[in-house]
Amino acid sequence: MERLLKYCLNILLILSIYNCESKEEELKRITDYGFSFYQGSPPHMNAFAYALELDATNASNWRELSVTYLKRGIPHEWKKYYDKAIIHDPVTWQPWRGYLYLWFYRDYKKAIADFNASDTLTPNFIDAPQGHSVDYWRGIAYLGLKDYENSIKYWDKHINRETEESGEDWVEINAFLYRGIAYYESENHDKALENFDTLLRLFRNISADAKYYKALILKAKGDLKGAKTYVLSAIEDYNMGYYNNRPYVEALRQIYPEDLENLLDSLN
Amino acid sequence: MAKINLKKIILGTVLGFAIIMFGLYGYAYYKMNSSYMPSENQFTKRVAYIDLKTALLSDGFEICDSAYIVDYYNYAQGDRVHRVTSYIHGKNGLRKAVLSQYQNRNYSDSGYLNFRFIVNCKGEAGAYVIHENDLDLMPKSFDPDLVQQLFEITTSFKQWHPNHLRGADRDSYMYISYRIEHGEITEILP
Repeated sequence: MERLLKYCLNILLILSIYNCESKEEELKRITDYGFSFYQGSPPHMNAFAYALELDATNASNWRELSVTYLKRGIPHEWKKYYDKAIIHDPVTWQPWRGYLYLWFYRDYKKAIADFNASDTLTPNFIDAPQGHSVDYWRGIAYLGLKDYENSIKYWDKHINRETEESGEDWVEINAFLYRGIAYYESENHDKALENFDTLLRLFRNISADAKYYKALILKAKGDLKGAKTYVLSAIEDYNMGYYNNRPYVEALRQIYPEDLENLLDSLN
Repeated sequence: MAKINLKKIILGTVLGFAIIMFGLYGYAYYKMNSSYMPSENQFTKRVAYIDLKTALLSDGFEICDSAYIVDYYNYAQGDRVHRVTSYIHGKNGLRKAVLSQYQNRNYSDSGYLNFRFIVNCKGEAGAYVIHENDLDLMPKSFDPDLVQQLFEITTSFKQWHPNHLRGADRDSYMYISYRIEHGEITEILP
């Protein structure tokens, strides 16, 4: 009987702890439940909407509701929810909004404005939405605007900082690809080649994009044989899946098989 | 003998009680979780949902499995065949087809004109919904002629690669977004 009493008391204790959980714990339990369903499904959405009724200041939950619309091409609903995330936590979510403006809306000016705002919000810290510094994303956004001077300026800043802090081999290779493209489009072929060569050196000589651009430069220099060698190698890399691309949306300056084939045809 | 029986009785009682308590706990947990409903504006359909009764060009359009429509970008890690929904002539092909047909007839509009639709498991497109927003992503109305022109172009893309997920071709929700500045198409997404 003594044991039975102990078991009962333990169960009651568990139940009372469950009932006495803090607000944060309760919200976590609700959002964990929401996360257990497919993003954008009714139980997922209702759980987060319910959590927001309990705490309308939770920026992460506003953001979670918003992205379901972002990924499905419903801009006004994304904005309605996402802007509330920024009201409650601009430090976290404003640079993130820049990243989303950049890729999902290709609104380079709005993206840059949000990245610049993050400099003011966190003056002693370089934010890194989606794993890359705001300088990295500014490099891409200015390339989208064809503002090559600013693009290269931010690539330099990003690459130099990463190299100083962690070493050149820790720099994400697309930084060299995009800085190379910025130089290529501003007709500085020597600097462009330097970046594509660095990328290939750091990534086991594999990259359809770097080889594609090298082939373009060699073609422009009249070295058709060299260009052909690179474009054939680029096709091999592409077929193995080594080309610049992104989930959900097309990458900036993304290349396709027909781009490589057209270049090859032009060399014959 | 009597001592052993008493132990069994106590053990049985304890176990029975524990099972009942855990059952009650589980039931309470289930009831609490399933009651995570906002008091207003409850979601009854998934975000991507397109109502075939109201969508454009849905007459005669057939969905293979209305209970399992994926999103265009879905793929499963480990699937031998990976294929997200895509236009049969690729993004370049789509871009080329749009830009070669579209004419800016002195439109002054700027914003995002989005067409959401379903690509069924056979790769056929249908059931279109249109969203019109300005460059600040607020709802607006474009010049009706511009909308009609891009609607005709977009719906002329009849054949798509259906999404291939977990060993089969699937129905999927797809969208095309046109970023327009002063009547010119500046981006085609995604």
